[in-house]
Amino acid sequence: MNKKVAIVGLGFSGFGTTTPDLSYREMIFEAATRCYEDAGGIHPQAIDSFVASSEDFMEGISIADEYVPDQLGAVLKPVHSITGDSLQGLASAMMQIKTGQQNIVAASAFSKVSNLSHHEHLVSYATDPVYIRPFNENPYFIAGLEMNRYLHETGTTRDQCAKVVLKNRYNALKNPGACYGARLELEDVTGAPALSYPLGIYDMSGHLDGAIVVLLASEERARELTDKPVWIKGIGWATDTPNLDSRIEGMGSAVYAKLASQQAYRMADINNPFNEIDFAEIDDTFSYKELQHLEALNLCGPGEAGRLLELGCFSPDGDIPVNVSGGSLGAGYLHEANGLQRLMEVILQLRGEAGPRQLLDVETGLAFAWRGVPTATGAAAVISTRP
Amino acid sequence: MGILERNSRNIDNRCWNPGIKAFPVKNVYTAGVAGQRFFEELKENGKIYGSKCEKCGLTYVPARIYCEKCFDHLLEKDWVDVGIEGTIYSYTLVCKTKSGGPKEKPSIMAAIRIADGLLIHRLGDCREEELEIGRPVKAEFKPKQDRTGSIEDIMHFKPL
Repeated sequence: MNKKVAIVGLGFSGFGTTTPDLSYREMIFEAATRCYEDAGGIHPQAIDSFVASSEDFMEGISIADEYVPDQLGAVLKPVHSITGDSLQGLASAMMQIKTGQQNIVAASAFSKVSNLSHHEHLVSYATDPVYIRPFNENPYFIAGLEMNRYLHETGTTRDQCAKVVLKNRYNALKNPGACYGARLELEDVTGAPALSYPLGIYDMSGHLDGAIVVLLASEERARELTDKPVWIKGIGWATDTPNLDSRIEGMGSAVYAKLASQQAYRMADINNPFNEIDFAEIDDTFSYKELQHLEALNLCGPGEAGRLLELGCFSPDGDIPVNVSGGSLGAGYLHEANGLQRLMEVILQLRGEAGPRQLLDVETGLAFAWRGVPTATGAAAVISTRP
Repeated sequence: MGILERNSRNIDNRCWNPGIKAFPVKNVYTAGVAGQRFFEELKENGKIYGSKCEKCGLTYVPARIYCEKCFDHLLEKDWVDVGIEGTIYSYTLVCKTKSGGPKEKPSIMAAIRIADGLLIHRLGDCREEELEIGRPVKAEFKPKQDRTGSIEDIMHFKPL
């Protein structure tokens, strides 16, 4: 059970606000092709097992997991889907190797959100049908409630949330895979119309289409496949109550993130994440979420994230660069592929392949994803250049 | 492996719009043992019920049949009338419709703290300066003849 697990291949496709030319399955095929090439040109016949992360309503097909195998080269192979964030899928793939059951496992996720007429209706459909849905409101009111409570509990300001948007959209200008890069002024964000006050329209990340596939291998196989493996040192995931009515603590703070990261840190033998994590790619689906998550992930103390952000602590040249890729606010939100999108940047940075946004001397990165409104599920992974 | 030919003109890109062949299944949602009684009490008596877990000392609102912390049964004896007043735990002004378009007038959604629960509901009949976390509010019910046994039997909560 103590086998080390490496990431040996990475491929992506899409990364546009629309992708009218490819079906989602073709997009995954393209990402898989690139991933297998990245892992030294491995043929999928040599891959033991496959894990997809998806959610039926995004595909618009029920039992969508049955539509997974062919685009990954997984027909007649062990395949299953995780209805959750793709870092939860990564955990599943990793366990198959750790147990010795498999040696090489692919994990995939995608977003084809541009095929949906009104994404809000899907989110609304995910809220409690008896207690919440009858109000027939825009479901992002839940983010408005969370943000207001978070500001109240911590003294974080609305402007500090807006500065997350400025940082991440600016960072995205150096990321060719990012669709929402921009140089904005504070007033552009704070003066924009409200989505659900205090949450403004630019405090929410925009939609993105794309597919990501990663290939995992046991230590022995990893050495054969690549000379640039990165290692999954720790992983964890947790879910708070689904009932908004009992999220007393969970309305103002991200308890799921705290629990998920504690698991991942314990497994990676990390005692002081601020000192031991070099950079982090963490969920910023909404501006306040990045700050709330930073605190829950123990990268700073409770209520400190906003102030530290203003001091530049989380900028690319700061103590812990956060969302150098632009995050979801800058790159676009990939839905269930959110986790693999965060992971992808961590892999690129650790390999030294992040181009103009490359961080210097980084050995250990944290990827953290949240499943979005109305969920309270988060997953964290600690990735390192050292096995 | 790879995609050999790609469409490069939008006009050539096809998609299938299911139209009347769209998702045809309709759901109903069972309120359940706790929900049945909770909504009956709203409708018939204008009362809000919670259930108290003696072991954890927590009073859930709306009422439930089990404690999500210790997994104990919450029984008939555990049902408590929690009154119709609470405090604003958080609130938000919803400025977009469910489809994302602009709203003529924002609606105010709130998490109302009653006992150890957060009832999600509207705030109404209030001025903007009354919107503050911690402020006491009171449920205003629809007239009895208009109630249907739904969360909307409460019209809104009004600041006190």
